[in-house]
Amino acid sequence: MSGSGMLIFLLKIVGALVIAVLGVIIGLFYKGVDRKLAALMQSRVGPPIRQPFLDFFKLMVKENIVPENAVPWVFNGAPVLALVSTVTILYYIPFASIPALLGDSGDLILIAYLLALPAIALVAGGFSSGSTYASIGAQREMVMMMSYELPLVTTIIALGWRLSLAYPGINVFSLEILSANPIWNIVGPLGFIGAFFLLFTLAIVTPAELSIVPFDIPEAETELAGGILVEYSGRNLALFELANAVKMVVMASLTVVLFFPYNIAQLFSVSGFLATIIDILFFFVKLFVVIFFEATFIRVAVARLKINQASVSYLIFLSTIGLMGLLLIAIDYII
Amino acid sequence: MSPKELLSFLKKNLKESILDSRIDTNKEGIKQEEFNNIWLEVEQSKFRDTIKLLATLQYPHIAIIAGNDTGESIDLLYLFSIYYGEKFKEISINIKVSLDRKKPSIGTITDLIPGAQTTERETKEMFGVEFVGLPDMHNIFLPEDFPKNVFPFRKNEKGLDELVQNES
Amino acid sequence: MSKSTYKVPIGPIHPSLEEPMTFNFEISGEKIKSIDLAPGDNHRGIEFMGRNRNIIQIIYLAERICGICSASHPFAFCRAVENAAGISVPPRAEYIRVIIAELERIHSHILWAGVAAHELGFDSVLYLSWKVREEVMDILEILTGNRVNYGMFMIGGVRRDISKEQIPRIEKTIEYYKEAYQKLEDVFLQDPSIAIRTKNVGVLTYEEALNLASVGPTARASGVKKDVRQDQPYSAYADMDIKAITPDMFSGKVNGDVYDRIIVRVLEVKQSVEIIEYCLNHLPDGEILSEKKIAKLLGILKKAEGEGVGRHEAPRGEVIHYVKLGEGESPEVWKARAPTYNNLMSWVPMLQNQEVADIPIVVASIDPCIGCMDRATLVDANTYQKQVLTREELRKLSIEKTRRMMQ
Repeated sequence: MSGSGMLIFLLKIVGALVIAVLGVIIGLFYKGVDRKLAALMQSRVGPPIRQPFLDFFKLMVKENIVPENAVPWVFNGAPVLALVSTVTILYYIPFASIPALLGDSGDLILIAYLLALPAIALVAGGFSSGSTYASIGAQREMVMMMSYELPLVTTIIALGWRLSLAYPGINVFSLEILSANPIWNIVGPLGFIGAFFLLFTLAIVTPAELSIVPFDIPEAETELAGGILVEYSGRNLALFELANAVKMVVMASLTVVLFFPYNIAQLFSVSGFLATIIDILFFFVKLFVVIFFEATFIRVAVARLKINQASVSYLIFLSTIGLMGLLLIAIDYII
Repeated sequence: MSPKELLSFLKKNLKESILDSRIDTNKEGIKQEEFNNIWLEVEQSKFRDTIKLLATLQYPHIAIIAGNDTGESIDLLYLFSIYYGEKFKEISINIKVSLDRKKPSIGTITDLIPGAQTTERETKEMFGVEFVGLPDMHNIFLPEDFPKNVFPFRKNEKGLDELVQNES
Repeated sequence: MSKSTYKVPIGPIHPSLEEPMTFNFEISGEKIKSIDLAPGDNHRGIEFMGRNRNIIQIIYLAERICGICSASHPFAFCRAVENAAGISVPPRAEYIRVIIAELERIHSHILWAGVAAHELGFDSVLYLSWKVREEVMDILEILTGNRVNYGMFMIGGVRRDISKEQIPRIEKTIEYYKEAYQKLEDVFLQDPSIAIRTKNVGVLTYEEALNLASVGPTARASGVKKDVRQDQPYSAYADMDIKAITPDMFSGKVNGDVYDRIIVRVLEVKQSVEIIEYCLNHLPDGEILSEKKIAKLLGILKKAEGEGVGRHEAPRGEVIHYVKLGEGESPEVWKARAPTYNNLMSWVPMLQNQEVADIPIVVASIDPCIGCMDRATLVDANTYQKQVLTREELRKLSIEKTRRMMQ
């Protein structure tokens, strides 16, 4: 390995650590904002924004209990897997004008797979904890996964396919290219509506990925007493909470990168370092807006669905909307 | 049927099985609206017939069985009401049945009124009354390991200290 | 899984239960196959305690059977004693009793509405309802001095009068609830996400409601027009024209599902507001107690003999107290029955073949009050201990633990 190659390698390791820590901090911060806003919408005072941090530190000092009839290595491994896989996704997502850390070695298809991993970790953890509540929760989580994967993948495929028609011969699933060529720019009016349908699909998949109301069915506090997480405590629970916080950032970033990759630095006619900072700040604002609509607002406005209702709404209604989006884009290209 | 007619209807059908009867009338409110409580005491053997008779008029609503250990007998007071659903038409019918204290036993009415199950099970636990025909189920209010021969609401049980003892 | 069914216990402690109670479910997939109810975790032996107290002390005991029904139980108890001893109540006291009882109904129904929304995972509505409920708790505090356990009832009347200055304040509350009612109706009866979770869920048919002797909103939602306030004249209700509320008044038909129970309760809030308004407008003058000196009252009660039944329509349904006065200060028999006791059995047909996700809302739909129901046994012994511990043993264990901690 040459000297410069070594340097890049070291830089990437440092970058990976920085992104992991930043991702966690940003995730917990947005979680605090989300809780505060939800509280204000419900006319409560609500917790301080730093509450998720306090919760995390509290959980870290609590005793980590492994139930007697749990399978210890799965039970303890699941939270680690969940956190690691979600943090890994961060390495593939370009933040504002900063390119993704591992942008050249992975694309949207990989992200789709990585997104399924935390859910699988949850299911494994739930089944291995040896509690009836957790088992029911894990079964529900599996059903949820099977339900929301189809609309999610429909969205991804539709975007890539349209891009490949516009620019043949490039890796259309690379996030760099996707964010450099927003879908809105390359389609006509019909395609525009189609793209909007796709955005809607992604926005409704997000609450299920984050398992918040109305799709918190696997955890369903009032039914299953926390369901899948019922036996988790201490450090393991803290890791799941972290994974969930990071996933919130991931899902919101994905929406931003796929649908709103615009930067505003050019508008101020600045360049260089200052432009990067402005773009990053703007990126955070976009994240906030997306989280507000995809998580906080939905969570406050509706009741929890039942598992069959959720499944039907994903597999039938949302998939139809996604496919219609795809169809509209296709028609738009043909005419 | 007015309360008086109802009482004479019951008397006509049950004859001397009715050991005692009276009607309490309350006048309520500024308008002095009347409300009637019929108190009956019937023979143990005719109790089920009384309920069947009531059921021909309207499905009787059972409120509760109130037990009383008088020392000589165990009195069960069944609190029913009928003619509900219309303004001020309801009549309360309270039927007393006296049971032998040594071996209290009475036919169940859960086949006629399934809703009586809870209160029959409670009476069984608390007074040791056997309800013939009531399926044997686990204790409803007392702990499962409560001593089987202790009935808390009998008057010879004097209080907590004596009652809750380890069997060992 | 190899077996087709598995057992899930809900309770004794579970987030969807406000009070301890055990349900044992046998579940196949997400469907409930069989249900076993095992109450008894909340026994405090209240009726037993009543044996060693005099009648006036029992009023306060009855009040503490349940925090939310803390007007209903003393109401029924006082009426039972008054019927037994032949004590008449001054009209003004009757009206004040009804005002307190109806305020309690508003309080209870709105509290329930919030709990039901929480069971559905709709927390925003929980916060909204409980915010609306604060007003009625405030007015109860102004009128009685307490937010719960009002301490308002006395044999032969009430303990506190409603003064002229308080009436505008009550009118303000009435106005507040007339406005809030619209909001509640919007949130509960027009919201699609509540309807989707409650329609055709936990159905109790008309026949089942009759057979199982259901009471209150549970029975009325199944079309049984049973409401003590309508069926029998008592207290100030005798002067009013009260109709039992059934869901067909709102939706035109009776399904007997959870949604119908919501309809009944929401409409009853409106009805209660109207009753309070009537009582305020027709509040008679005069005394509030038939006998002011408690010692003298106790003397009368000691001499009195006889038996009486007191019924009252509590927020959850008919509450009934039976009192037999005998020799001595304490009653020979005191039997208290809360509405949940009768509605207990209706859980079985409601939950049969429902989904796990429906358990919390169906259980909550009868507005269970386990504290009321489980009032009647001896010791709050730990049922999961193989043996029942005596107080000495508990004390010994406690001392041992203290020693361990100190080491």
